[in-house]
Amino acid sequence: MKKIQLLFVCLFLITFSSCEKDDICEATTPTTPNLVIEFYDALNPTVKKNVTNLAVKEINSTASLAFTGTSKIKIPLRITQDLTKYSFILNSTDVTMDNEDFLQFNYSRQNLFVSRACGFKTNFIFNSTLPFIKTETSIPDGYWIQNVVINTSNISTENEIHVKIYF
Amino acid sequence: MKYMSKFTFSILLILTSFLVNAQTKTTDSIPPKIEKYGVRFGADISKLIQSFYDENYKGIEFVGDYRVTKNYYLAGELGNENTTVADNRLSFTTQGTYLKVGFDYNSYENWLDMRNMLYIGMRYGASTFSQTLNSYAIYNTSNYFSEAPTVISGEKYNGLTSQWIEVVMGLKAEVLKNIYLGFSIRMNRLLTNTKPDNFDNLYIPGFNRTYNGDFGIGFNYSVSYFLPLYKTKSTKKEVQKKKK
Repeated sequence: MKKIQLLFVCLFLITFSSCEKDDICEATTPTTPNLVIEFYDALNPTVKKNVTNLAVKEINSTASLAFTGTSKIKIPLRITQDLTKYSFILNSTDVTMDNEDFLQFNYSRQNLFVSRACGFKTNFIFNSTLPFIKTETSIPDGYWIQNVVINTSNISTENEIHVKIYF
Repeated sequence: MKYMSKFTFSILLILTSFLVNAQTKTTDSIPPKIEKYGVRFGADISKLIQSFYDENYKGIEFVGDYRVTKNYYLAGELGNENTTVADNRLSFTTQGTYLKVGFDYNSYENWLDMRNMLYIGMRYGASTFSQTLNSYAIYNTSNYFSEAPTVISGEKYNGLTSQWIEVVMGLKAEVLKNIYLGFSIRMNRLLTNTKPDNFDNLYIPGFNRTYNGDFGIGFNYSVSYFLPLYKTKSTKKEVQKKKK
């Protein structure tokens, strides 16, 4: 009898220990990746260059993301459509110095199963013929972005650089 | 602690002396023990009841066993489940049929001609089923864009199979003549599992919910009818031997 009771106790312990594990989507689980952009010096293409007061805003959104003193930024892509158009404003805090360029990223999406707790994630693949479109403001103020290079066309992890921008 | 053990020990001592007393008095009057052999069949009532009140669940399970020796029973379950699970992140429907076969070992020493069971057993289980992914949410660590709406899928994955083993613990009590109520709890471990492309078997008919590993937990409440086929009588000698 005692052995059976012990077995029951073990059984319940195992039940509960296995319950906890997969109900919360852990932060370490790779889910939908952000687009990782790294900035380089246009005159010296092997050297990374920090941006100053860079404001990044998706054209249909109101909030903008601010970056300064860094050469690497992560921005999200829309998971409901196959393109995301961002405005990049360099020196955004200075009215006389600011310069706005647009970059539209074209891609296809893939929804992949992650787990019960996390659901699905979206991976992106850049359009091979036209991965991005660079445009200017309606009143041209010259491009601050000299060159854009797709480094990885498969956006599935944030551990690699997807786009390199030279300025 | 010391006093406690002393106390329980003395109680046990008194109790055993009673037992010894009782035994010596009755050895002569023990009638031959009649063991009935036959088949028992029934159904899981928990699945039936859940089918009534839970609109996302339809299930039935037939249970049966056959007494092979004094303590060993050939046992099995046959069932069908159709369940829709709506979690936070995804909703899916699983439907399929399963069969489990194995044995039960009765560890309970019955008095006279009682036929109750306190048993442990094992099963081999197999299921063929389909999964339908109804809808899902995409997990996005960035909250820059407003939460994307749930994606409606409806994709169906057919021809999935799983095999597993179960360790069963349970009891069966005869509540009316030849009518048994039973409860069992099962620990399952997957052996093989064909997973659909870009999805997982989060629920397997008969196996129950799957966790990240290969383990699962199941249970059933059964009502069954025992159909006696033949009887054996154990002689007085045998009975006495066992009592000692």
